[in-house]
Amino acid sequence: MAELKHWYMVCYDIRDPKRWRKAYRLLEGYGERLQYSIFRCWLSQRDRERLRWELEKVLAAEDSLLLVGMCDRCVQRIPSYNRPESWQVRGDRFRIL
Amino acid sequence: MVMMADPIARQDSVRVSALHALAYCPRLFYLEEVEELYTQDAAVFAGRRLHVELEQQEDAQWQDLYLESEDLGLRGRLDALRTRSGQLIPYEHKRGRAHRDEANQPQAWDSDRLQILAYACLIESALGTPVAEGRIRYHADNVVVHVPLTDAGRAEVRQAIAAARALRQSDLRPPVTVNERLCARCSLAPVCLPEEARLAHDREWEPVRLFPADDDRQVVHVLEPGSRVGRTGEQLKVARLNQPVELFPIRQVAQVVLHSYAQISTQALHFCADQGVGVHFISGGGRYLGSFDTRQGSIQRRIRQYQALTDGAVCLRLAQRLVMCRGQGQRKFLMRGQRSASPAVQAALKPTIAQMQAVLKQVDRADSLATLLGLEGKLAALYFGALPLLIGEKVPPELRFDGRNRRPPKDRFNALLSFGYALVFKDVMNGILTVGLEPALGFYHQPRSQAAPLALDLLEIFRVPLVDMTVMASVNRGQWDVAADFEVRGPQVWLSEVGRHKFVELYERRKEETWKHPKLGYALSYRRWFELEVRLLEKEWMGEGGLFAQLVLR
Ligand code: SF4
Repeated sequence: MAELKHWYMVCYDIRDPKRWRKAYRLLEGYGERLQYSIFRCWLSQRDRERLRWELEKVLAAEDSLLLVGMCDRCVQRIPSYNRPESWQVRGDRFRIL
Repeated sequence: MVMMADPIARQDSVRVSALHALAYCPRLFYLEEVEELYTQDAAVFAGRRLHVELEQQEDAQWQDLYLESEDLGLRGRLDALRTRSGQLIPYEHKRGRAHRDEANQPQAWDSDRLQILAYACLIESALGTPVAEGRIRYHADNVVVHVPLTDAGRAEVRQAIAAARALRQSDLRPPVTVNERLCARCSLAPVCLPEEARLAHDREWEPVRLFPADDDRQVVHVLEPGSRVGRTGEQLKVARLNQPVELFPIRQVAQVVLHSYAQISTQALHFCADQGVGVHFISGGGRYLGSFDTRQGSIQRRIRQYQALTDGAVCLRLAQRLVMCRGQGQRKFLMRGQRSASPAVQAALKPTIAQMQAVLKQVDRADSLATLLGLEGKLAALYFGALPLLIGEKVPPELRFDGRNRRPPKDRFNALLSFGYALVFKDVMNGILTVGLEPALGFYHQPRSQAAPLALDLLEIFRVPLVDMTVMASVNRGQWDVAADFEVRGPQVWLSEVGRHKFVELYERRKEETWKHPKLGYALSYRRWFELEVRLLEKEWMGEGGLFAQLVLR
């Protein structure tokens, strides 16, 4: 029952700029953008399903969507063969501004 | 085809989905229907997605249809209704797998079966057409189960509706289900706390940590005066002077805490309310000002709270527990300090610790809140009288103190304590609002200006572990700059902006630390504990008491 969270890469290819924009905005509420159409999100199963549902309302049949769940090991290995800024480590559970 | 019903009958009728909940677990039905608690777990969203996907499929042979029958006292929305050789057949789509009987044949789960029967009866009654069967499609194993509607089935549905109506009138929350497997898949487990409820009934029982999840969303403190919090798309935006704008995905934020004169836009406020993000205001002087929160709890919960907390005996019992909890915490903290202290200090602490123990013994015998207040006063005087002994030799004189004072604090140590208590108060308040209790009705503190009594009550539990210990440790570690971290105005002392920044950091780090709950037997972070304690308090008057205010350090 404990809400485990995992990293997900969310990649999409959306044919229509209006829908693209919608999906993009939606994803901004869930995680950080890594590239033009790729986000990374730290999600519980519940968040993931909610996101999938919300995306489904935006996407059309011709669009494509790929969610990739990543285990801790995958995430740890990312820095070893990528540019340093590609995957910055997540901060604390608080921010002081 | 939509049937409108008059509002009175509507209120009286039962939703088909509520019958499903009832068949699953009566307590689930009660929590949803009477206490109006809903949490949306992964399955709920996945189910909705399935529906969106089904809608997008080309052959729209199906439709969704709202029906109500006054005669049956039932209403509901059908997933799909198809006509097969002149017969109306209701369909229900389920994401999961079907139940398998001994012969490994797919069958409907009991609650699903009742649900589809209820739909079939609803169609018969509302549309006046006979229905021979309903079908459930389990998408995970891609099977369709046929459920024939017989007279026995019709009687079963009528019985379930009667049972639902009776339970709706009842004052008693049904006990947790005996089938633990149901809880593991139940969307309301995080608020139902089945493990803890079972424990309350049976102390020998080993909990398997079904405990609701830790909220690991961020708490965003905005300290810099002149900062502005706004909304952009699905993000919160914090703009500060001469600094790049900071963006926060809304779903990663738990609370926004605005210190001194940070601004927040109305759009951002609405957004936060919408997403269940607490917004709290703390003055520049470190006083808790208030919260913006629209998470009003269900009226049922609050009525229960009123009923319980207007009963003097209940209040006294809870207050005793509270005074005991805080007093023991204070005493244990002194004992901890004693272990590492010099022989002289050890000797000086000894009589206080013994006296505190003597006072604590009287707590259970106190017969009024006034007596209790007296005992609490004695404990506090003993504790704060001895606390200066825990301050290390190397600590500069400016950071020493001799006793508690507040409003306004007159020395640096008291300024630290006061600011810390304000932060805890804020988190306690956030917990109360999340759970949906009424902060203005407490059991110990009397209503006073500004401060909400229930939050003041609960604050007592957290003072020592979250503030006193944090302040003492940081002072002894020499973490404070006597000049830069404080502002001294005549006899009054406040934390400066730098000082507050430091303190918030220390406090938030402390919240990350975990404790093993002495009664529940598992470890949790303090951050999680605020909400837990409120939920355990609520259980006190729901017949599952005995777990509230048991947090005492060892
Ligand atoms: S968690 Fe268990 S006891 Fe509580 S409502 Fe759900 S199924 Fe019933």
